[in-house]
Amino acid sequence: MGTLAPETILHQLADLWVSQGKEGHAESGAGVLRACSMTLVVVSEAGDDASALGETLAALMPEHPARTILIRVSGAGPAALEERVYAQCWMPFGQRRQICCEQVEITATDAALLEVPSVVLPLAVADLPLILWCRSARVFAMPEFDAMASMAHKVIIDSAAVPGDARAALARLRQAAGRMLGDLAWTRLTRWREMLSHVFENREIVSDARNVSRVTVEYPGAAPNSSSLYMGAWVMGCLTAAGAEPQLTLAGGEWTGSEPAPLVMRVVLEGEGIFVELMRWTDRMVTTVNNLAQCTHLPLVTEYAQVREELGIVRRDPVFEKALASAVGVAYPSQ
Amino acid sequence: MPIENPFQDPLRFERQVPECIVVIFGANGDLTKRKLLPALYRLAYDRRLSTGFAVVGISRTPMSDEQFRQKMQEAVQQFSEDTQFDEDVWKAFAGGLSYVAGDIADPQLYRRLAAKLKEIEDSRRTGGNVMFYLSTQPSQYAPIAQGLGGAGLGKGGGWRRLVVEKPFGHDLESARELSDRLHESFDESSVYRIDHYLGKETVQNILAFRFGNGIFEPLWNRRYVNHVQITGAESIGVEDRATYYQEAGALDDMIQNHLLQVMATIAMEPSASFRANSVRDERSKLLRSIRAMTPEEILRNAVPGQYGPASIGGKALPGFRQEKGVDPQSQTNTYAAVTFFVENWRWAGVPFYVRTGKRLPKRVTEIAIQFNPAPLTIFDEDDGDRSPNLLIVRIQPDEGISLKFLSKRPGAGMNLRPVSMDFNYGSSFGERSPSAYETLLLDAIIGDATLYTRQDMVEASWSVIEPIQNVWRATHFDFPNYAAGTWGPAAADEMLARRGHAWRRP
Repeated sequence: MGTLAPETILHQLADLWVSQGKEGHAESGAGVLRACSMTLVVVSEAGDDASALGETLAALMPEHPARTILIRVSGAGPAALEERVYAQCWMPFGQRRQICCEQVEITATDAALLEVPSVVLPLAVADLPLILWCRSARVFAMPEFDAMASMAHKVIIDSAAVPGDARAALARLRQAAGRMLGDLAWTRLTRWREMLSHVFENREIVSDARNVSRVTVEYPGAAPNSSSLYMGAWVMGCLTAAGAEPQLTLAGGEWTGSEPAPLVMRVVLEGEGIFVELMRWTDRMVTTVNNLAQCTHLPLVTEYAQVREELGIVRRDPVFEKALASAVGVAYPSQ
Repeated sequence: MPIENPFQDPLRFERQVPECIVVIFGANGDLTKRKLLPALYRLAYDRRLSTGFAVVGISRTPMSDEQFRQKMQEAVQQFSEDTQFDEDVWKAFAGGLSYVAGDIADPQLYRRLAAKLKEIEDSRRTGGNVMFYLSTQPSQYAPIAQGLGGAGLGKGGGWRRLVVEKPFGHDLESARELSDRLHESFDESSVYRIDHYLGKETVQNILAFRFGNGIFEPLWNRRYVNHVQITGAESIGVEDRATYYQEAGALDDMIQNHLLQVMATIAMEPSASFRANSVRDERSKLLRSIRAMTPEEILRNAVPGQYGPASIGGKALPGFRQEKGVDPQSQTNTYAAVTFFVENWRWAGVPFYVRTGKRLPKRVTEIAIQFNPAPLTIFDEDDGDRSPNLLIVRIQPDEGISLKFLSKRPGAGMNLRPVSMDFNYGSSFGERSPSAYETLLLDAIIGDATLYTRQDMVEASWSVIEPIQNVWRATHFDFPNYAAGTWGPAAADEMLARRGHAWRRP
């Protein structure tokens, strides 16, 4: 089995800074600036598009500079670990000095996954949070995931990427309740939820909220995805808090747009004297409140934007936790 | 008891904006076209405005609603600097635009406006919330406020707010008079005096930097700070503002409002909370603590300047007196540098050097806080650079913060050199910063007056500036005293040199 010594990696990181400093000084005379606000552990499949992931990480670094430890899981085979160390640098506009963040890439077979925490923990930057972003739905389903999750202050996954039944994915995530969690299937709903909340800032409309008797959440395809379950659960929770007793319908539909289908296509709240509809149409969101319509710009949320939002919340998120618990309830009404 | 919005998620959502109508007086003017409408459109584009949001434009020019929309569309297309024009977003936004033509002196105008507001309130459920934005000549502020009050528009079913742009008077007495007249129809809490400098991200970040971090505040006083320099430099001349500028000058145009507000933000005591009045109380207290100088002190601590002609990069530039519409004998200051002293325990004896000017070498606004040197020099004089520790807050362009300190040069021996730790807003946060007008308009709609100037702050700053105005008006200066493209008159350098200091070259 290939083995890794964390001390060796730390030495490599130190050497990296010396060489970066020399290079930066030679090129601009200004050296480089090291930036770090967290340790970000990213678990991805070895077959994933490495350049796309690299771009996402590079985009994240200016706002969330981190020591990034990228675990590339190479699948079956004898237990093996390999590593490489490099830096991610960028030159701020109008400045002479580069800003750099460290990146460590570890390749591990499935059989070596259990060894990963013992390598990662010594590499974590002291006094700063450790965030685990698991991009691999396969690893999320493995028992080794729990060992990796236990070292993190916050765990980010994407339940919508888990193949099969969305309800099972939410139930699996629910097992981790008590830990700080982020689910990108929930993060994708932020702008939708914000628009809906915005509608209810109006005093007249918020007083009509208790009249809502029907809620419809429309998703693409035949089976509800986790985002639609979250949306249904969240809306129902908010309306119940406002004194309404609505019925929830999760309805499958066909996405006719040319772009990739969003996970939620339409949300409708209706009842006596109130009609609120949020509908995605190409890269716009059309909000209709009674007879007034508003159109705003709403591009599909990129993976970068989703992770960026989650990295900005390193504390408990009570609204999400409540929505997760209710979404499992929506998925399994008898529970 | 208002019903709470059950859909709130403060951890993830931006501040929520209530339904309202924005009434713009001077809707056919430059500010509306260049700043206000592009800012409102951007807010709509970014999903920040409510579904029922509406704008009513008012000016003398007869126009239909449709013509007004067309004009505003052209303005948005021309002046939205970093926002893509989206036909569908615009169509929905423009559905809320309407126009009322009339003379502000005509009571009929306000009756027609009242009818229009009622119609919009009913159709768009705006809850009676109205913000009046006076984008007009300052001389029209009081008549408009009185017209609105006379028609009963100063109060209504929801909130009513009045937004005015500087200048707020031209001296202490006129500022008080203006306020009294506005207060006949609007309470002070409903008057929002806009100072777009306070809407800039970095100015707001000063509060975050000072009061969000524990490490800087202990240094923020006379024991550690040697002096503070605040620079508001412009590379352009008076352009098409000669008539206004000739009356106002650099001291009134920049220092009385923008730069004193920036100084108040840098030097104020920590507020008890981040509530608007709490922050404004501290700003106001600081402004009241600035020593109003005697005529003798003014001669030593304030320097006026006026640019003369020069050639920059082969291009001949006129002096101020040669600008179109300017009196050839003008005594207007296009440059002003003042040493202020804050009379409180924190800042006693620390000079605050404030300067501004037209036709300086570059456009830059920044604050430089110079710290005292280490109490004991243990390194030899020839061990390298002896630059002081500086904290630089750049407000524009390239908003950011830098800390300059000494470090050992790598290698044998002890050789020091200054290094800089930089935080750059544009590069550190990948997203676009909202324009000052977007921030301030949103704040006014939400009812957050933190970044707006209160009457007592206006009066406090005039109390400091008026004695300087009086001395300068009574003195005949040998203008021009600096060439366009230079950093101002030599007398301004001498003012600092007397205390052993020198202006930074930003």
